[in-house]
Amino acid sequence: MLTRKLHRHVLLAASRVGAVVLAIAGVTAAAYSQPAPAPPQDIVFKNATVMTASHGTIEHGSVWVHGGKIAGVGTKVDAPASAVVVDATGEWLTPGIIDPHSHSALDNDVNEATSPVTPAMHMIDAFDNRDKALYQALAGGVTTELLLHGSANMIGGQAVVIKNKVGLDRDAMLFPNAPGSIKFASGENPKRVYGGRNQLPSTRMGNFEVMRMAFEEAKSYMAEWDAYNAKVAKGDKDLMAPKRDLKLEALADVLRGKLYVQIHCYRADEFLTEEAIAHEYGYKIRAFHHALEMYKVADKIAPEDTAIATFTDWWGFKDEAWDAIPWNAVMSMRQGVRVALKSDSNDHIRRLNQEAGKMVHYGGATEDEAIRMVTLNPAWIIGVDDKTGSIDVGKDADLVLWNHDPLSTYARAQKVYIDGDLFFDVSLPGLGTPHFSGVMHGDSDSGSDDEEDGQ
Amino acid sequence: MRKPFGICLLLLSAPALLTAVEAPKKVIAIVGGRLLTVSHGTIENGVLILADRKIAAVGEAGKVKIPAGAEVVDAHGLTVYPGLIDPETNFGLIEIESDKYSTDLAEPSDEIMPHMHVADAFHADTELIPVARLNGITNAVVAPASEDSIAGQDIFIQLAGADRDEMILGRDTALAMNFGADQRRRGKEGGHGEYPSTRMGLITQLRQTFLDAQDYVARRDAAAAKKEKTDDNKDGGKSDPKKEDKGEKPFKRDLKLEALIPYLNGERPVVIGVYEAYDIETIMALAQEFHLKVILNHVTHSQEVLDKIAAWKVPVIMGSIYDFPRANERFDAVYTLPAELAKRGVKIAISSADAGGPVSSHSSRNLPYAAGFAVAYGLPYDEALKAITLNVAEMFGFGDKLGSLDVGKMANVVIANGDPLDVRTDVKQVYIQGRAVPMVSRQTKLRDEYSK
Repeated sequence: MLTRKLHRHVLLAASRVGAVVLAIAGVTAAAYSQPAPAPPQDIVFKNATVMTASHGTIEHGSVWVHGGKIAGVGTKVDAPASAVVVDATGEWLTPGIIDPHSHSALDNDVNEATSPVTPAMHMIDAFDNRDKALYQALAGGVTTELLLHGSANMIGGQAVVIKNKVGLDRDAMLFPNAPGSIKFASGENPKRVYGGRNQLPSTRMGNFEVMRMAFEEAKSYMAEWDAYNAKVAKGDKDLMAPKRDLKLEALADVLRGKLYVQIHCYRADEFLTEEAIAHEYGYKIRAFHHALEMYKVADKIAPEDTAIATFTDWWGFKDEAWDAIPWNAVMSMRQGVRVALKSDSNDHIRRLNQEAGKMVHYGGATEDEAIRMVTLNPAWIIGVDDKTGSIDVGKDADLVLWNHDPLSTYARAQKVYIDGDLFFDVSLPGLGTPHFSGVMHGDSDSGSDDEEDGQ
Repeated sequence: MRKPFGICLLLLSAPALLTAVEAPKKVIAIVGGRLLTVSHGTIENGVLILADRKIAAVGEAGKVKIPAGAEVVDAHGLTVYPGLIDPETNFGLIEIESDKYSTDLAEPSDEIMPHMHVADAFHADTELIPVARLNGITNAVVAPASEDSIAGQDIFIQLAGADRDEMILGRDTALAMNFGADQRRRGKEGGHGEYPSTRMGLITQLRQTFLDAQDYVARRDAAAAKKEKTDDNKDGGKSDPKKEDKGEKPFKRDLKLEALIPYLNGERPVVIGVYEAYDIETIMALAQEFHLKVILNHVTHSQEVLDKIAAWKVPVIMGSIYDFPRANERFDAVYTLPAELAKRGVKIAISSADAGGPVSSHSSRNLPYAAGFAVAYGLPYDEALKAITLNVAEMFGFGDKLGSLDVGKMANVVIANGDPLDVRTDVKQVYIQGRAVPMVSRQTKLRDEYSK
């Protein structure tokens, strides 16, 4: 909508001003991140309502954190006497909130919308770790985000997984050893972007054919390298290596199953087509994102072990969002699909806990099911569910302490820990960020790729 | 999995429109519920009588007589409250957001468009209304989008009725104005296009417009006085064709300027959409110059002028509460604004808008959650409920008809299974003018079709 675009221009202008301010600040006060004292070796949270996300809720529960990992959880834990005690009486403790679909902190570099196939793009190259959106999400309890390429391209770029350690330098915010993900799209956005330029694709037929053509190219490329490697293995030393092609190598990684495929997809028929193409070329789809019509075909998608990352109740913003219903998540879950909620928005990312709460209303999810949709299930989509997403011994101590039931409208994050270190504390003056006391960058848009290349 | 007969159901659906809201023959007695009256506190075990479209009685169980033959609705364990009122929507002006052919949001050919009447475009049959209604929204203000400095005149609607006319409770109830960066649309990127391309231009254009309207009133009145005099001079009704020929041309109406008169007279409110503190000060100076009856809208970056807003004694539609703080502001700089305004005695309404846009009609159903979020950040609960019921009704001239559970008010009532402001709460039944509204939308039909 025009109004939104105009508003975005305002924000953009504001961000330019911000950049100038930053430059001046850089001269006078170089400190951006301040060295915070090392986190205590042992922390124990006592008397909390512990929502584990994996094994139910423990009333009057305790959680012991040792060396940044969860070392104990239950009504009693064996924390040493030296442990720093956090009295959580009357408070709730959950795993850190995980957003499996964010475009935060990428400035205006969400979409390399110059070709419908751009798999060699890496979102880390655009990641601005000082973007205020990260801080605002942190204050909403978000500890991990999958930063995705936009939806302009059928095959977009490769995602970056971050831990929301606001105040640390860029590389310290990357999620260690997280698997790679690549963003695909489908439907209205690619056909609008390229159709608007009288290019292929301008229809859904064109969309999917662009994908098949790309994979055929990748297969030839792989065959060329396989042949070369076979000859080298046989001892041929004079052979000239084929030319390396970053785009085709990335596609080959898809076909080799090295990248999790995350597909922006709304319509029921397109889920089926995407699965058919995945079968044809031998890769797996990790998750459909948006997935607003999954309730229509959930029984067919569940056996594929493809998850969904969906909006709770956003609808009607374009044709392919016209059949969106807020019961989609729970209905799909009841059919056996793994369901996560996501933001795709610098706004909603700040209150994904409430979005989970809506699932109690729309379809009668249990509290456990609801909290899992913003913790363990998105962790699975990103491929880090062995490291985070639930309160279990051995996992990273990514934890949020809330003043109220996190599934209610009234919850505020009080303290947010990542790897056992405190990154947000609402009781602190100023921003409430123990590791950050500098100047943030203004974000330049709403954080939704749908709005960006949409209207 | 699609079930074969579902399509027929969809084709038969008639979303917004109901059969006429005739006075229901039945008297309805809602008994045993927790009544949030808004105007006079909470009644734990209450009785609410709906009759002849209105609230006929409200009080504690045992103290209110249940009329013989009344349909008794058991509300034990449930919460009963007045229908919620969304202070800014685009209902009936938008359907599918990206489809420009389905929208009638604003007329951007000029900044000054007071003669645009939302009533002329309001599409009563929109699918958005039943969706919002299911979460307890029974009334709303429909305003044009915010491109123009003066965008047009709002309507005040109820979210059910036989047709458009029954749904529109008030036409031209308020003038929609906007001021700030968004209206500088004639300025080209990196330079200046046409006038007005700056805030200076926008304000000058507005001031000239109001002066023109005052001048118009003066000329119109002068012409009318002259005509009266001329008519008086005509003896015995005998007309003198020669005399008439010599007369001045008949006064020509100017619809644009005429539209501004009730607002210059302070008869109806002017809703001014404005975000930044310095813009608020600028536009308020202009509004005071012309004695406009102001309702401030948005004010999401008004932290520096909260005391001034209180001193002006203008009501405020606060929203989006989710609007983004500026870089380097604390995360809750906007979340806390409703509480900060209320603390200063400002009458507030809260709107359903998401961040990133002034209005998000598709999300109107989330209105109570915005109010609840204000509670999380310090707004007293009762004030939050008022901000989406009685305060809105009062701001738009419906304070005697809507917004609280009081005898004589329209029977717009919601029954839910818990706290209306909590995201987990499920609305069980909505009444509009005493009629139980079918709890059905296009979305519930899709849900039911695929749940079989």
